[in-house]
Amino acid sequence: MDPSEVEFLAEKETVKIIPNFSLDKIYLIGGDLGPFNPGLPVDVPVWLALNLKQRQKCRIIPPDWMDVEKLEEIRELERKEDTFMPIPSPFYTELTKLLLNHASDNIPKADEIRTLVKDIWDTRIAKLRLSADSFISQQEAYAKLDNLTLMEINTIRSFFLDSLNCMYKLRSNLQPGSSGGKLSDY
Amino acid sequence: MSDLLSDEVPQDDSMEDVMTPSELISKLEEAWQNEKFSPELLQNKSEVVECVMEQLTHMESNLLRVKKGDAKASIHRMEIDRIRFVLSSYLRSRLQKIEKFFPHVLEREKSRGEGDPSLLSPEEFAFAKEYYANTETYLKAVALKRMPPNLQTLNMLKAVPEPYLDSFVFLRVKERQENILVEPESDDQRDYVVDLEEGSQHLMRYRTIAPLVSTGAVQLI
Repeated sequence: MDPSEVEFLAEKETVKIIPNFSLDKIYLIGGDLGPFNPGLPVDVPVWLALNLKQRQKCRIIPPDWMDVEKLEEIRELERKEDTFMPIPSPFYTELTKLLLNHASDNIPKADEIRTLVKDIWDTRIAKLRLSADSFISQQEAYAKLDNLTLMEINTIRSFFLDSLNCMYKLRSNLQPGSSGGKLSDY
Repeated sequence: MSDLLSDEVPQDDSMEDVMTPSELISKLEEAWQNEKFSPELLQNKSEVVECVMEQLTHMESNLLRVKKGDAKASIHRMEIDRIRFVLSSYLRSRLQKIEKFFPHVLEREKSRGEGDPSLLSPEEFAFAKEYYANTETYLKAVALKRMPPNLQTLNMLKAVPEPYLDSFVFLRVKERQENILVEPESDDQRDYVVDLEEGSQHLMRYRTIAPLVSTGAVQLI
């Protein structure tokens, strides 16, 4: 999957905005939104929030977890433990990038947040690389990865799955009585 | 004018349970992700595709009747574009797999039972057959007719690689499953069973969980 497609899925998450226009309720195919009144917060999907922000029609309120103290705690926890910690949003990377790129004026301490999220990402990716390595060297056939986000999975997806498939094919051809003659795609 | 856009979008009663439009879109997105990540062609979801097309054309015809520059129209248009992207990506994914595995797909479609749900929509079936015929003609014209007569036969099922069902996939569990068998790589490891908790994510071979994907108990991610 392309990273932009993962971002596409992340854009469906809701975020609070404060519009500066008024509009009555809209009935989208995916659900109802609004009504919009200037100064009153309303929940909208991220794709709409970004569009409105770019047209200077609203102010975006950062999600609860996008706060320096909270992110520092998460970063420390992530660095301390060997396993993956639960994170506040399954789309934390994408939302940080989108909101900080388009609405950094609405988010306090934007640069610090950017650095913190990058640190959290780096720690998690390093853990992911280690566990992928041990998965392959111990020839496991099953893994549980509850706290991984889609973007992290997507980062190693093509390389990891292709190598696992390749190795399985090589190994199963070594074993006698394997399904020889059934050509699989290369 | 705002009435046009707040029209009740039609529900399709011919489906088993009547779905709200937002459930329909979620189903489309699930089907899109499943099709993207599965190594074989999955059952076609033509009811979902048809309903989504209906919703899109209805919304677009409403938008045509509204005067330009309306704030709501641009929001609706953005949503239509997003849904259209998912729909095209889903259909394109299926066509790619049909092209890749065409003899096996046609074989599966031929050998399915009377009451079984179909693998291909009528248009996809026509496409697959045409593709088969064209490939056959091409191979014969380009190479086979210049071979000695006893080597001119072509067995498409052997010539085209099968989908690789043992490939690993990532999945998220939607309904709790018990006793899923995990077969190990090498002989000295035993088979073992795992339980799949709702909401958890796993990495395992596609073959074991293939039936769960078609019932919707797990979602490929």
